Amino acid sequence: MPDIYSTEWYDAVREAINAGVGQLRSVPEGRFIVAVEVAGDGTSPYVDEDGERRFLMEIDDGICLWYRELDAGEDEHGHVEGRIDYRFRGPATVFDEIAAGLVDPVDVALRGTISVRGDMRLLLRNAEHVASLLEAYTNAVSTTWPLGRPPYAEPTESRQMAEGRQTAGEPEGAAARA
Amino acid sequence: MPKRVYDAIVIGAGHNGLCLAAYLQRAGLSTLVVERRHEEGGGVNTEEPVLAGFRHNLHAQYMEFFDIMPMIADFGLEDLGLRTVMPDAQAGIVFPDDRPPIVLHRPGLLERTHASIARYSTADADRYVAMKERAASLEAFLAAGLYSLPVAQGIDVQGELLESMFADLGVSANFGYKSPRAVIDELFETPELRALLYRASVEWGAPVDEAGLGAMFVTFIMWTMGNWKLALGGTHTLAKAMTQACYREGVDLLENTSVESILVEDGRAVGVRARGVEYRAERVVASNADLRQTMLDMVGRDHLSDTWVRRSEAFRYGPSHVLGTTAWCLRDAPAYRAASIDPDIDRCFYTVVGFDGADDVLRYIRDAYSGRLPETAAAGTWVNSLWDRSQAPPGHHSATGWFFLPKASDLTAAEWEDVRATLNDRLLASWQKVAPNMTRDNVLADRLYTPDQMERKNLMREGDFSNGEFSFDQVGVNRPFPEASNYRTEIDALYLCGPSAYPGGGVHAACGYNAYKAIAEDLQLASPVQTERGY
Amino acid sequence: MRDVYDAIIIGSGHNGLTLGAYLARCGLDVVVLERRHEEGGGLCTEELTQPGFLHNVHANYHTFVDLAPPQGDLDLAGHGLEYVRPEVQMASIFDDGTALTVHTDLDKTCASIARFSEQDAETFRRLYTEAHGYVNLLLGTLMYQPPMSMKELTRALSVFGVEERSEFLSVKLRRETIDTFLDQHFTHPKVKAHLAFHGAVCGYANDVPGLAMSFPLLVGKIDNWNLCVGGSHRLAHVLWRDLAQHGGVLISDAEVSRIAVEDGRAVGVVLADGTELTARRLVASTVDVEQTFRQLLPQEAVPAELATAVETDLLHQPWSLFSVHLAMSEPPRYEAASFDPDVDRAWVVNLGYASTEELDADWRTVRSGALPGTCRPNAAVNTLFDPTDAPEGHYTGLLRQVAPYALADGGPAAWDEMGHWYGRRCIEAWQRFAPNLGDGAILDWVPYTPADIPRKLRNMVQGDWMMGEVSLANMLDRRPLPGLAQYRTPVDGLYMAGSTQHPHGFITFAPAYNALQVIADDLGLEAWWRDV
Repeated sequence: MPDIYSTEWYDAVREAINAGVGQLRSVPEGRFIVAVEVAGDGTSPYVDEDGERRFLMEIDDGICLWYRELDAGEDEHGHVEGRIDYRFRGPATVFDEIAAGLVDPVDVALRGTISVRGDMRLLLRNAEHVASLLEAYTNAVSTTWPLGRPPYAEPTESRQMAEGRQTAGEPEGAAARA
Repeated sequence: MPKRVYDAIVIGAGHNGLCLAAYLQRAGLSTLVVERRHEEGGGVNTEEPVLAGFRHNLHAQYMEFFDIMPMIADFGLEDLGLRTVMPDAQAGIVFPDDRPPIVLHRPGLLERTHASIARYSTADADRYVAMKERAASLEAFLAAGLYSLPVAQGIDVQGELLESMFADLGVSANFGYKSPRAVIDELFETPELRALLYRASVEWGAPVDEAGLGAMFVTFIMWTMGNWKLALGGTHTLAKAMTQACYREGVDLLENTSVESILVEDGRAVGVRARGVEYRAERVVASNADLRQTMLDMVGRDHLSDTWVRRSEAFRYGPSHVLGTTAWCLRDAPAYRAASIDPDIDRCFYTVVGFDGADDVLRYIRDAYSGRLPETAAAGTWVNSLWDRSQAPPGHHSATGWFFLPKASDLTAAEWEDVRATLNDRLLASWQKVAPNMTRDNVLADRLYTPDQMERKNLMREGDFSNGEFSFDQVGVNRPFPEASNYRTEIDALYLCGPSAYPGGGVHAACGYNAYKAIAEDLQLASPVQTERGY
Repeated sequence: MRDVYDAIIIGSGHNGLTLGAYLARCGLDVVVLERRHEEGGGLCTEELTQPGFLHNVHANYHTFVDLAPPQGDLDLAGHGLEYVRPEVQMASIFDDGTALTVHTDLDKTCASIARFSEQDAETFRRLYTEAHGYVNLLLGTLMYQPPMSMKELTRALSVFGVEERSEFLSVKLRRETIDTFLDQHFTHPKVKAHLAFHGAVCGYANDVPGLAMSFPLLVGKIDNWNLCVGGSHRLAHVLWRDLAQHGGVLISDAEVSRIAVEDGRAVGVVLADGTELTARRLVASTVDVEQTFRQLLPQEAVPAELATAVETDLLHQPWSLFSVHLAMSEPPRYEAASFDPDVDRAWVVNLGYASTEELDADWRTVRSGALPGTCRPNAAVNTLFDPTDAPEGHYTGLLRQVAPYALADGGPAAWDEMGHWYGRRCIEAWQRFAPNLGDGAILDWVPYTPADIPRKLRNMVQGDWMMGEVSLANMLDRRPLPGLAQYRTPVDGLYMAGSTQHPHGFITFAPAYNALQVIADDLGLEAWWRDV
């Protein structure tokens, strides 16, 4: 039961990802560096309002080799040679809610709440792998929340949408899974 | 957004401004060029203003200084797109009766020039060719004069120098006092040749009746006459190559940005305000805009002494080089009747049509200079598509011409409208008399730009292509006025680099090059002078 | 002129310049060759009427500002490129005096639509909100990468469960027309007319099957219509500046007459004046397929199958545009301003289409080579937003009317006799809605006919300013031909990088950006721009 945003949690997510990858028919070949930027939004207690937390992950032939957080001000290129292939950025509460299984990551990406930069073609060609990765992040780890667990007092727009759809009877809603 | 602080700011991306900017940036000064129009180049301007695919040079036409222009070699403009061709037959005139045409050829083909003039007069042919050769031998000397700051020199000294160089060809010291017309008349007896030379004189910007410009005819006009190149793609290609040189050096350029004022602090130019934004210049501001605009509008009277205000107000634009540009989209190039006498006339770079003879040319010029629309419809014409197929769609030709016209302010807007509606038709009638195929059917479309429009296009006041009359009191060390003749102004760090300064209008980039020399001297920058070329 | 370069790019439209600038920034020695005297291709701004009046002869609307990767990668703003995004982006003015306006403020747009239908206003709000959310994702997926097949795309949509998560995106859109989409979601004919009109100005005809797939994307950026300050040509200058400041060279008036091929590899070009230039690493053509494969390449270098396809399978937009460029002393004052005052400060104005049926009828008419019975041009007065494009106190005007390239009666050449007549009809159509635009307010005007388009820009074959039909059959990995869709050609070292390629014409930068990805992979270039 690792705490959210702890080394143990990153390792647990990494293991969940790799466990999921084993089930797939195909995985993307080669090495990819993924950067995640979680921006403080004044609601999430895990990120300062004006601050951000940054994560890096290396995926090689579909397997997540490592997943770690950067120190404040640390240069991401101190960890990786070459370029960052994908960058995800969004508000902290939304990332928290994804990790808590409250909102659906594809949903928030479609709504632009989380921005995605990088080669979209590979993301689409490897949709199964991406979906499995998101699933691991969202649902595979039992997370503890030392500073409180989402939902926070003010529901985000993303969660409202997810809940709204649930009441409308959509079976695929993320909230339903949560 | 572009930076707000530069070492140098150049107002105006005319070819002189571009030239100066390139040298400044190369000397290590971060440089910004601010241009009012959407295109760089000022008068070095080629457009498709009539029909798609037909190009016309709306201002500058023939290029006579490319062999000596320092920037072309110093910045490798030939690697940046500048390409030229020099037509064999250079300048011609045709007449509406059976008189032979006169066709002057490029250097190296002077025997053909001789043969053409000799149809009228062997003496004139001998003298013309001899003078051309003599002037050519003085090229290095004349070029050095052009690309150096002007030197005060009494008219008698000039005359003596002139006589020492041309005495054996009938030139005497007092030619320096004479007008181009008087000199032409004294040297050449053939009215038809005189007609072409009068026209060439005003084409150069030298008022034909202006006393004191006789030396200019003997030296500069005889030197450059028929040394004309065509810039492939249009004269704007020069601006493109210069702009590209600037970019490669690292110059920034803001188009569509009118300079409202030059910022002056404690008597020193420190930047410009353009479209509401201040751009600071830590070391130099140079203006390619005309004198009055620069000093009176941008600097402002408050910062100027009475002398500078008075002299700026007194600077004259026109009437001597006020032009209208006429643009024609043709099926066939003009086929002159006179080609039966001399076929070269059909492939002549510059052809004067519409005049009956020397007196007609003089009458025309005097009318235009005194503010009247000339009765004769006559023009100097170019059919550049004969040498550069890119200038017109396949199977067609693009012709452009210059009318000398009254100053923009001499006629009302309605009168100019009327000129635009009628003058091309009248020219076509004149043209058809000498080239029977120049019927309406041969013309897909045509358009006339009158001086009032030229003024609006490039802010060349009054439609004066020289941006300041080439009268005796406004040339050489007197340009724009004696106190301002070395590109410096009474405002510290503010320089003139456009045709208001010596040597004046024309595509030589000497105003920009010399302004750089003055600035380099003041700021201890690298000198652009190269010993082998002598300037 | 130097005669050896790493990369030779044919054509200096925005795609040619963009590709050149990226490659120059990669350290390649680049030359961009332009046939015309001006760079920019469709980024063409000229003083067509009077001195001081800047007319965008081709591209006027920049809808990918802040969306196209090259703008940041090449720091175009740092070069001084400025855009204005008018608050009132578009309007439709109807014969009955009513009007609909689209604003940068969604609430105002919805309020305007609600005057016709409150239900449509709510639908629009949901559509816009949904589409605006995924506009970046979808652009990255559909435009700014080499094209995938429709099959791959729909499979990915299904794996991600997009259909369930979206009200408007659906796999079946790939077979539907924009009309069908509008009928499914909207009720009021005028609302539908405006949305269809907006698609038409983007080059998407509302009656063409398959284009519904792109429609949500169009709506997602319906409020992102930007005007390039100083004329669209300014963008060409800025791209050129970036190219040159990184060591590249642009040569204008350099018509390429032949691509030199040795052992199946493009090794250079020959100019019309005979100058031979060598390309050490690549040649990229941004001009049309016909010129590239029929005229420039030696016929033996083109596989027979491709030669046949070029002959028979290329699809061009079956409609073109007739334009009128005006110099004016006052802006239009629409009578419909009494209904909605914002029409007087709207940028792109639909003059009269009030139903999709009226648009459909005109598509049919124009495709048959005839002129629409009623002139319903769209109007734009750029000066309202960029005063630098006209002398003080004056205005430029642009009218655009859908029209055939080849008239059934007389072909394209018939336009030469009809330009002024038809221009007058277009102006009269404008005057009906804005009676102040009498002859006193119009100082000068010139027609620019569909026949003029390829005369100025040769690669816009048949007046096709999208450089290839926008249709299902000519989309994604089928554009312009299946064998050429991935920017490579059967000739090694020769790439296609112009608007013939996916996604299409318009100022998208995408063909060049996508060709760049392929070139970088083939040449092993360090793809600095991929570092996100």
